[in-house]
Amino acid sequence: MNVLLDLAISTLTQGLIYALLSYGVYITYKILDFPDLTVDGSFPLGAAVTAVLLTRGADPYLTLLVAIAIGALAGLVTGLIHVRLHVRDLLAGIITMTALFSINLQIAGSNMTVERAASTIFTAGPVMALLGALPLIYRKLIVSLLIALLGKLVLDVYLKTKNGLLLRAVGDNSVLVTSLAKDKGLVKITGLVIANALVALSGAIVCHEQRAFSSTMGTGQVVFGLATVIIGTTLFRSMGFVKGTTAVLVGSILYKGCIQIAISIGLPANLLKLVTAVLFLGILVFGHARKGGVKAHA
Amino acid sequence: MKKTSLFAKIVLLVFMVTLVSAAAAGCSQTPVIGISQFGEHASLDNCRLGFLQGLKDAGLTEGQDFTIDYQNAGFDGAIATQIAQTFSAKNVALMCAIATPSATACYAAAEDKDIPVVFSAITDPVEAKLDSGNITGTSDKLPVDAQLELIRKLQPEADTIGILYTTSEPNSVSAIAEYEAKAGQYGFAIEAIGVTAQSEVTLAADSLIAKQVDCFSNLTDNTVVGVLPSILEKTNEAGIPVYGSEVEQVKIGCVAAAGIDYYQLGRQTGAIAARILKGEAKASEIPYEVISEYGIYVNSEAIAEMNLTVPADVAARMTEAKDA
Repeated sequence: MNVLLDLAISTLTQGLIYALLSYGVYITYKILDFPDLTVDGSFPLGAAVTAVLLTRGADPYLTLLVAIAIGALAGLVTGLIHVRLHVRDLLAGIITMTALFSINLQIAGSNMTVERAASTIFTAGPVMALLGALPLIYRKLIVSLLIALLGKLVLDVYLKTKNGLLLRAVGDNSVLVTSLAKDKGLVKITGLVIANALVALSGAIVCHEQRAFSSTMGTGQVVFGLATVIIGTTLFRSMGFVKGTTAVLVGSILYKGCIQIAISIGLPANLLKLVTAVLFLGILVFGHARKGGVKAHA
Repeated sequence: MKKTSLFAKIVLLVFMVTLVSAAAAGCSQTPVIGISQFGEHASLDNCRLGFLQGLKDAGLTEGQDFTIDYQNAGFDGAIATQIAQTFSAKNVALMCAIATPSATACYAAAEDKDIPVVFSAITDPVEAKLDSGNITGTSDKLPVDAQLELIRKLQPEADTIGILYTTSEPNSVSAIAEYEAKAGQYGFAIEAIGVTAQSEVTLAADSLIAKQVDCFSNLTDNTVVGVLPSILEKTNEAGIPVYGSEVEQVKIGCVAAAGIDYYQLGRQTGAIAARILKGEAKASEIPYEVISEYGIYVNSEAIAEMNLTVPADVAARMTEAKDA
């Protein structure tokens, strides 16, 4: 049964690491009602800075903070293009994403690998002091679980603050925000900043886990994020007490679980995406049938 | 209530399917070789087939001495990661990783289990940091000297060689550096143009043609080679010969190549894997190998079309690509 346990642990770890990206997409797509394509660029951006910093011998935990900051900057750019230059939301994201493709390569030089001797967040001092006796896959699970839960808690608390409530208001009824004499553009920018900080953090952790950055690793991440948000929120729609962040966390784990199953039963890779699409459709249709209507967002 | 039951059903389904597949994996007594191939691609497929042949050559029989668990990531890095982790969870006897992204994923997944990883089709294992630990394999480094010599023999008057490459591919970047360092010895200058996406390749080809290069030479750059037919269309019109980097490219219209045969590369990889499976050596004790053999492949139709003459010494050792 070791096989099963190991499979479950590594799949769960993947789900938890990518959940941070899902939180980001949840903020922009579900709360702000902003289809943010910056994600395909800010995800590898986090990995690129991390790969460079790790190679230069930087403190692994510090790289996470740098990734958050630089991801936030990417979100800020999309926000400014949209709000100040009045470019449509979808296009603003596409512009930043396209620019980031070059910037990521500029940062890393080319696709790069981090040597095994460099310590990562899973192998550095503090983690080894506490969990050194455990095999690496358990350490990876525990560290990613802590980060995913910490991210979720911070986000939950933030969404309850006045600022967080404004974020929700902009997505639901932006006229109300203006009538409260608040600048809805500023609120949108704030949302994009937080979202892309989370996405870049996710990319950074993937880089720690894989010890590699590739310029194309961002391709399809928006779609992944949207899928997990919709799977999660559809599953928990009638359970009002389940927070949105919890729902997308579960969505991310389920998504990675489905890929894992497809691999385990030996489906050809060319069919993997088809299986995901079918699952996706199934959940949507099922949710639709029960509620008698698919929400505008889903 | 209904909602909980749906969720419970999904979780249960996930659990059961994984259980069944894991149990099936646990049952097999023979050592399992997990092959992780990054994507479907003629060279990579040849590499895998060669690998299986290499194991057979070493006296190992599939089903008796080993079983194969073949997975293909469809050029998706996140899926390559999950494939590698599946191999690690199933505790395969050996992982065979074809192409760099699969190799880095397998190497990371095998980190604390000490499962040997044997890679193939990686140009620069040192650059990819895959040269230490319980890992070994074969490199598909291009025989640049042989290629330059071949071009000189077929085009004695040529001055500049045009090369297209992808800037994000470390393999291509290091190959360009080698071309630039060695071109002078053969009296050539290199005109290289980097691209970031496949859609830019034909534009870059146009500008190389406009710069009046005497010929094109290809690397094993997936982005560029993927649209080779449309490059050839342009160069044929302009009357510029294109030299390939392996036999498959010559088959589709390049004039010639001093290139590696991926099937042979795979066989060499299979031979290494067999030594590890038989317990003759550990992966950590075997240095990675660079393919020693390269072939000279030609496409006579393309050569005639470009009015090139093949000198006798080349003709003596060349192979017609479509027969290879």
